[in-house]
Amino acid sequence: MSPIHDQSYRRYNGTRLPVGRNWGVIARHGIRSMVEKRPFLALMLFAWIPFIVRLVQLYIVANYPQAGAIIAVNPAMFREFLDQQGVFVFFTTIYVGAGLIAADRRANALQIYLAKPLLRMEYIGGKLLVLVSFLLAVTLLPALLLILMQVAFSGTLEFVRNNVFVIPAVVLACFVQVIVASFTMLALSALSKSTRYVSLLYTGAIFFTEALFNTLRVITGSTRVAWISITANMQQVIDAMFRMPARYETPVLVSALVLLALVALSISVLERRVKGVEVVS
Amino acid sequence: MQTAPPRQAPGIVSASVRVFELSLGEMLWSRRTIFMGLVVGLPVVLALVVRLFDLAGATGVRVNNMAVDGPAVFGLIIWAFFLRFSIPVLGVFYGTSLIADEVEDKTITYLFSRPISRQAVLFGKYLAYMACTVLVVLPSIVLVWFLVIPMGGSLGGNFIDLVKDLAIVAIGLAVYGAVFAFVGAKFKRPLLVGLVFVFGWEQVVLALPGYMKQLSVAYYLQGLVPHAMPTDSFASMVQAISRETPALGTSLLTMGLIEGAVLYYAARIVANREYVLEQ
Repeated sequence: MSPIHDQSYRRYNGTRLPVGRNWGVIARHGIRSMVEKRPFLALMLFAWIPFIVRLVQLYIVANYPQAGAIIAVNPAMFREFLDQQGVFVFFTTIYVGAGLIAADRRANALQIYLAKPLLRMEYIGGKLLVLVSFLLAVTLLPALLLILMQVAFSGTLEFVRNNVFVIPAVVLACFVQVIVASFTMLALSALSKSTRYVSLLYTGAIFFTEALFNTLRVITGSTRVAWISITANMQQVIDAMFRMPARYETPVLVSALVLLALVALSISVLERRVKGVEVVS
Repeated sequence: MQTAPPRQAPGIVSASVRVFELSLGEMLWSRRTIFMGLVVGLPVVLALVVRLFDLAGATGVRVNNMAVDGPAVFGLIIWAFFLRFSIPVLGVFYGTSLIADEVEDKTITYLFSRPISRQAVLFGKYLAYMACTVLVVLPSIVLVWFLVIPMGGSLGGNFIDLVKDLAIVAIGLAVYGAVFAFVGAKFKRPLLVGLVFVFGWEQVVLALPGYMKQLSVAYYLQGLVPHAMPTDSFASMVQAISRETPALGTSLLTMGLIEGAVLYYAARIVANREYVLEQ
């Protein structure tokens, strides 16, 4: 005879973390499940190729100063590097972020998650941390390593001393890129159950606004409409952080406000969509 | 008593038509049509805004500090929105989901249990994709044309160019759809592969000198553009952007070959693959 299992209510006997500290479990699980995927690791490795190229550039300039006339090492180089990483930010955001909430909604796991001693904030925070971690791994980490390697290759702190703003600019710029991409993707992921639909929505948000801006730019002959494009707004704000001349006529403040509004909208979407119980009339 | 002879399974053409009929309704009346409507609706809104500015007597549209007329603006919208963005994106979205959707929803087994060939499932769905996208995209182009062309151009005089543009868009949808149907049948994460192809590979190789650009669909699609643009000024601008464009015949032939080859391989993959659905 097979044993009869008691399936009635039982109290939880495991260790209970204080409220507000459970987000780590979600983040850890999300990061681990991504790291186990080989195609994702390939994407991460690919995202570090520009770092290797820049490393070679730093090495050449440090050993042959005359090469600096052609491939100068200056704040603009770090700005360019972050611009180049934008492609990898896009693909990493789609790979990691599209399914973060959509997959849970598809499997009806959201209700199970939120039936446990887990706050909505913790759930969102944990999911956000998964995406933020990988995005920082392709932006902030290589950028800071580049600064470190520049000091190591040149054997002097002269570059950092002459450009004190570079380190805070790199950190802030990376956070702007990562926060905007993460919140936008997470909000879109909360809107649908299909990861493919979410990926397409994100692609549309990035490239369609860019296409719209470029068309209006040609039609109006001005870049005052740059605030339409998410990418252009980020470029505008990051250029200001690097003390570089603005590439568009839209005021930096307007671009910053658009990005802030986008993040606020995303938070509002998350607040409405991530709920333990869906009341269906 | 005489028993009725066993009914024969439908041939590949009639089976494809049946799958087409089934899929068309699903594709047209789904939430993803909202996405498609958005993608093709915004150029119409943009054209409307440009026209309203024109009617209000605002300064004419200028490209590279040169005043341009309605036909040139139409060419620009076709180029920037439809050829460079909408067609590849719609191709990726619909093409990759032809088979992947059925796998994801775990409904492919129901289709495969019917007495029709597996290739017919792919061909039928591909035809439905073509009908669905053409039915939504082409009317939006016609709307843009009606809104923009009267700004300094004549509708009658530019009608042939409109027909050419519609043909280019339809060809683009067909080729991209076929390529991504193959991607959808072959790869586990087809959307990411498709996006990397459109926004990574194609963008990079088009900017490279040499023969690399011939390994993209966009190169041949761009090759058709100068033959269809309503004004010479815009056609020359496009040629300046893309530096070198293949001949019309080469473009058409190559795209036909690409479409045929990738559809054939996609059908072979679908026919031979054993789909193990995740529980």
